[in-house]
Amino acid sequence: MYVNLFSMEETMKRIQVLASAAVAATLATGALADSHAWSLKRAAEPYAGTTIDVVFLLRPGYEAIEAMLPAFEEETGIKVNIIKHPYENALGEQVRDFVAGGDLDIALIDLVWIGNFAENEWILPIEEFTSNPDLVDPDLDIDDFFPLVLNAFGGWNGVVYGLPFDNYSGLLFYNNCMLEAAGFDGPPATWQELKDVYGPALTKDGKYAFALQSKRNETQSADSFARVIWPFGGSFLDENFRSNLLSEESQAGLKFRQDLMQYMPDGIVAYDHAETVNAFAQGDVAMITEWSAFYSTVVSPDTSKVADCVAIAPEPTGPAGRKPALGGFSLAVASQADDDEKAASWLFIQWATSKANAGEYLQRGGVPARHSAYADPALVETFKFIPALVESWQDGVPEFRPRFAEWPEITEIVQEWGSKIMLGEVSTEEGARILGERMEAVLEEAGYYSGDKPLAQ
Amino acid sequence: MRGKVSRRTVFAFIGPAVIGLAMVGIAPLLYAGWTSLHFFNLTKLRRVKFIGLDNYESVLTDPVFWEAMGRTFALLGTALPLQIVFGLGIALVLHQPRLSLLKTLTRLSLVLPMATTYAVVGLLGQVMFNQKFGVVNQLLGGVNVNWIGDPNNAFIMIIFWDVWQWTPFVALVLLAGLTMVPVEIEEAARLETRKWWTVLRYVQFPYLVPGLVAILILRTADTLKLFDMVFTLTRGGPGSSTEFISLMIQRVGFRGFDQGLASAQAIILLIITIVLAQLYIRAFYKEV
Repeated sequence: MYVNLFSMEETMKRIQVLASAAVAATLATGALADSHAWSLKRAAEPYAGTTIDVVFLLRPGYEAIEAMLPAFEEETGIKVNIIKHPYENALGEQVRDFVAGGDLDIALIDLVWIGNFAENEWILPIEEFTSNPDLVDPDLDIDDFFPLVLNAFGGWNGVVYGLPFDNYSGLLFYNNCMLEAAGFDGPPATWQELKDVYGPALTKDGKYAFALQSKRNETQSADSFARVIWPFGGSFLDENFRSNLLSEESQAGLKFRQDLMQYMPDGIVAYDHAETVNAFAQGDVAMITEWSAFYSTVVSPDTSKVADCVAIAPEPTGPAGRKPALGGFSLAVASQADDDEKAASWLFIQWATSKANAGEYLQRGGVPARHSAYADPALVETFKFIPALVESWQDGVPEFRPRFAEWPEITEIVQEWGSKIMLGEVSTEEGARILGERMEAVLEEAGYYSGDKPLAQ
Repeated sequence: MRGKVSRRTVFAFIGPAVIGLAMVGIAPLLYAGWTSLHFFNLTKLRRVKFIGLDNYESVLTDPVFWEAMGRTFALLGTALPLQIVFGLGIALVLHQPRLSLLKTLTRLSLVLPMATTYAVVGLLGQVMFNQKFGVVNQLLGGVNVNWIGDPNNAFIMIIFWDVWQWTPFVALVLLAGLTMVPVEIEEAARLETRKWWTVLRYVQFPYLVPGLVAILILRTADTLKLFDMVFTLTRGGPGSSTEFISLMIQRVGFRGFDQGLASAQAIILLIITIVLAQLYIRAFYKEV
């Protein structure tokens, strides 16, 4: 089992304490004694006319904030220039921009990019802004973010760089009508039950019990490979940063995936999110484990034939408990921006992730990471994924995928050999052995084994 | 009448072209050469260092590189003969007298596949070869073939698209070769024999050789750099089944950000392409 230098709890506490302390210190200066005086409009006055550039993805959460954007631009006079990319291009585009000293003023950071961005000093700690009473919203309330999400998406080595913006947890979406027709009165509680009981009963007449998106890109690493090793007690690395993929637990997870494939559609190794969500929405698949962000797609009659049958539960548990997939993005101010752009960018990030906007963001298809957003019982009625999501964010693993700077290289290896394992081109043992060797070679080159870099994620 | 042209005039005419070529062709190549001798990862620019030929050693001893290379030549070895056979057949049909309007329309329609953007071909393929609602399975009688998700079928699908897109090019080049055959010689040959094969082998073929050499060189280079169509269609998958050499280089350089290693791979690929082009010319072109 993976053990970090700092326990998860300890790291979270450190981040919260630091972030809260920064805000508290600002408040304590007295500069904000009259906190009612602060307004976004007033804070943005010096930066009116500034244009800030940010990369957005083609996903519901981004469309939600884009729809809300006119209100921000009108109030602040700050122009937000959105550059849209599919997920697969987003990292490359940003890396090239930061390396070349380009135009991006805000970094959109997947949780596995945070180490990379922070170590390259492409992003700034939020403390640079929360320490400025002119810029910090008195209602920022860092503690309102789910600690797991704030730590995993925006934190690195005890410093908060980004605020959680587009937030996901893996959830079990199931077609209640198909399950009821097969005699089930609820979803499977465990992965084993999903395979052994629900699998045979729901795989018939051209329909399949389950689909696990496994295309050879980040989907293979995050949604498929990692999803099966953690609940079975496995992990990518052990406490010495050596491969843990040949451990009994990791192997159990990988073998489980191979067995489970008999209840998945043919060619599941070519399924990305779109194909998987579509198969579920068309009623061809009874259950999928997908990101919360796809909720609006599967419950909308415009995009789903099974909208009325959709029900949601936390991901099933494994022998090691519930270890749901964790993914999502934070927004951080880019260090390459000039001072006005930095301030304007911070105001935008603060606004986009604010408590005040969380409700509307949710209503428009986004998934905020604030406790307060989910406190309203009426919202729970409307958005069926909320209880499962909140529960998942209590049990998640920040290192679901290692977040260090070497992940872009390692994920390529996982994608290649994870796919080969699924296709039966190599056994789980052989694939894990080669994958582990290559992963360790990357880590050795990076200096983890020589002591040049601390064993921290 | 030839007059003496000053060096300055010569330079004025060809200088801009040479400078332009140097800037867009030679300079990037030299930079790639420099990069290939360094540890050069875009996300670790503080650690850039000279490592000699280590990247080349890594490439040459990497089985994944050679698997991708083997896959690329398997594609070339399968698709190119098919393109030549089909292209020659089309060219011979179009070379026949009569049916001039139909031939003109056919020539025009041959341009369409070539004019289609590579990436669009891949996107079309995603829809047409979709297992559930794709037109290909419907045309095959409603079969349930998994084209994109099966490694072998995905490879066949790539071959199909490559043949579809580039057979017209081969046909047009060979047709141009056939039109070079002097009419009186061809007519005399047809009086001597009624065997079309004999006419083709001994009269027409020598005129086709320059075109064939051009096809071999261009199609080999095209296949070695085949990227767009495959990237949009399969992204190299499933698994590695359609990860051809150019996709691998892109993956290493732009998804793993290891520009040094990717540059070494690209330079090795360039050397292989040049060597093959020379071999083609030496083996075939001298027969003309």
